[in-house]
Amino acid sequence: MTAISVSGLVKTFGATRALDGLDLEVATGEVHGFLGPNGSGKSTTIRVLLGLLRPDAGRVRLLEGDPWRDAVALHRRLAYVPGDVTLWPNISGGESIDLLGHLRGGLDARRRAELLDRFDLDPRKKARTYSKGNRQKVALVAALASDAELLVLDEPTSGLDPLMEAVFQECIREVRAEGRTVLLSSHILAEAEALCDRVSIIRHGRTVQSGSLDELRHLTRTAITAETARPATGLESLAGVHDLRHEDGRVRFDVDTDALDGALRHLTGFGVVSLTSAPPTLEELFLRHYGDELAENGAAAREPVRS
Amino acid sequence: MSTQLSEAPARPAAPVRPGRSATTTGTAALFRFALRRDRIRLPVWIAAGTALMAMFTVTRHTRADEEAGRTELLRSARVGRHAPMLAAVLLAGLACAALAVAVGIGATATGLPATGSFVLGASFGACGLVFTGITAVAAQVTGHTRSVYGLVGGLFAVFFVLRAVGDIEGNWVVWTSPIGWAQASHPFSDDAVLPLLLCLVAAVVLVLGGFALLDRRDLGAGLTQPRPGRATATPWLRSPLALAVRLQRGAFLAWALGLALLGVVYGALADSVETLIAGNEEALAVFGDPDVDDLVDAYLSTTFSITALLAAAYAVSSVLRARTEESEQRAEPVLATATSRSAWLGSHVAVALVGSALAMTASGVTTGVVRVLQTGEAAAFGRMVGAAVAYVPAVWVVAGLAVALFGLLPRLAAALAWTAVGLFLVITMFAESFDWPGWVSDLSPVSWVPLMPLEPFTAGPVLVLTAIAGALLAAGSAGFRRRDLATG
Repeated sequence: MTAISVSGLVKTFGATRALDGLDLEVATGEVHGFLGPNGSGKSTTIRVLLGLLRPDAGRVRLLEGDPWRDAVALHRRLAYVPGDVTLWPNISGGESIDLLGHLRGGLDARRRAELLDRFDLDPRKKARTYSKGNRQKVALVAALASDAELLVLDEPTSGLDPLMEAVFQECIREVRAEGRTVLLSSHILAEAEALCDRVSIIRHGRTVQSGSLDELRHLTRTAITAETARPATGLESLAGVHDLRHEDGRVRFDVDTDALDGALRHLTGFGVVSLTSAPPTLEELFLRHYGDELAENGAAAREPVRS
Repeated sequence: MSTQLSEAPARPAAPVRPGRSATTTGTAALFRFALRRDRIRLPVWIAAGTALMAMFTVTRHTRADEEAGRTELLRSARVGRHAPMLAAVLLAGLACAALAVAVGIGATATGLPATGSFVLGASFGACGLVFTGITAVAAQVTGHTRSVYGLVGGLFAVFFVLRAVGDIEGNWVVWTSPIGWAQASHPFSDDAVLPLLLCLVAAVVLVLGGFALLDRRDLGAGLTQPRPGRATATPWLRSPLALAVRLQRGAFLAWALGLALLGVVYGALADSVETLIAGNEEALAVFGDPDVDDLVDAYLSTTFSITALLAAAYAVSSVLRARTEESEQRAEPVLATATSRSAWLGSHVAVALVGSALAMTASGVTTGVVRVLQTGEAAAFGRMVGAAVAYVPAVWVVAGLAVALFGLLPRLAAALAWTAVGLFLVITMFAESFDWPGWVSDLSPVSWVPLMPLEPFTAGPVLVLTAIAGALLAAGSAGFRRRDLATG
């Protein structure tokens, strides 16, 4: 069962090719991370999925329907949180939540009250007095208080503080436990790592990597730090070992997943005193795909996604 | 008003000088006639303009900057607490003074007495100064720029009505309005300076009051805490139409009130047109000794065509609200719900169509009431309302044009729609006076409507206009359903 199925999606704005043959498969019941830096085409894809933009080429199916032709019927079954939430300045947060809920086709009053409480949101304030984070909470409460089978969330936490980020993650886990589907666009990798069953990484309007985190980790390297009784030598001659450094009797290196076994066998020959191994983070996956771009832009590796 | 107008000394008829170009014969007489005829209306327009100028200037540099957070940045530098408002008040005051001098010089240049000309200019300036003061106070009272405009605009409407009532009744009520003070200087007849000094004193007191209030509030706050909104939506706020009504009701009420007031003024002036023309040999000669009732009807039909263009301007602004919602990304969350594009656009368009029709009717109703009071004929009411309502299909054509542009050329919609309104206004106001060819005047839908109450009602143009409006609406809706939504 697939909730979202996109293949070869192309969308151009004048001379700009925002989406250039994008593919995306989201299975029913999974939390799918949709990752990419700003301007890579995440929001454009989501707007095509919502029938707000018309695709130039490619095949797009959403909940077994055509998002452009069947927009109204499909929208009853999904809830959307935009990346940049703008509300009506003179209308209170509570009114906006109710309005959006009713326009979608109903809202669970008990869950609404509970979510307002958990997100610590004052529904009586007029939207013009809300900060970015509070506007985002309004949209999140409206979406999460619905019974939608699909949640489409476009960078939903970019304005939330760490406390609220935790509440958000909790809510998404509950949503998944209920068997609902979530498409979560993000450039916060820790969030995607914490929540997503599978991720798709996109770049320049094209999918460059897609799969479960485990599958993706196989494509990358594990970081090893080891302290050995005798100085470990000969590691540099092993295939698949990278960035080898010796520091005060300790050795650090990154190793390709398929070369991990050989490297560890080699290490034990020197008497391992301590060993830490760190699985590759999404950040590293990301960096591999955007590494050349970072090099071009001269951006610091610490701020990979802001390039 | 009629008493004032009858004070005007009758001028001897201009001698006919042979040998002058026939096409411009009578221009001088007509110009003087127009000036005298508009000696109330023109100053009201200029006074309104001056008051608005003062309001926008002061607000822009005080509350608007404060709300946007720019004042905070400035005040963190070596800038005193009173400096931003003092600078704004000085600027507005200077603009009022410049306007007063410009009007004085301009009026003198057209051959009017110098003293009267400068008193006239000063009366405008004085009106602007009072509203500078009123805005200085209003900008302290409320924390939001839009509320400042609402407060000052509302006060202007109240003072405007008080002055009109006092003027018509010829009693003390006129002195409750600063606009009345400014006009009590009676340029060219009394040239009284004392009422203008009253304006100046009021302006100074108000500005000082503004500073006193400024000392009693925090930066960014108003005097009153903003009222919290509702925690839950009212049961009726759950459809796209309800949302459109909620978003547009303030603008609708303001426009409807404005057109209703305009109806009062135009109706009230009908009486003076009658008095003026009936007692003026020169004017009668210019118009070729017509029936005075016909002249009043001609005057009223002209005023209704101008009101219709204002109603069209409202309809365009209302339709373009949909564009604002779209480009500011507020349409996106609504269209991501089970709301179809037709329903969303249709809601805003419905508000525009019904709202402009109601506003047009309101102006007909108020003119009708005033005419009934003046003439004592109950039938006048129906004639006035009918004349106003006859313009509704023409107003809808302009609204339809805006909808079509929104659907088909969204980026250019605002610019093109307003250009069209401006063009139609120019055609209505000048096509006849300058004898432009018929096809030019036919470009404006307003010209198609029978000139009621002067001419009888004919169904043909009304049906054609309604059909055109329907076609434009359909085209706009179809275009919108087929295009991409604007993305930020």
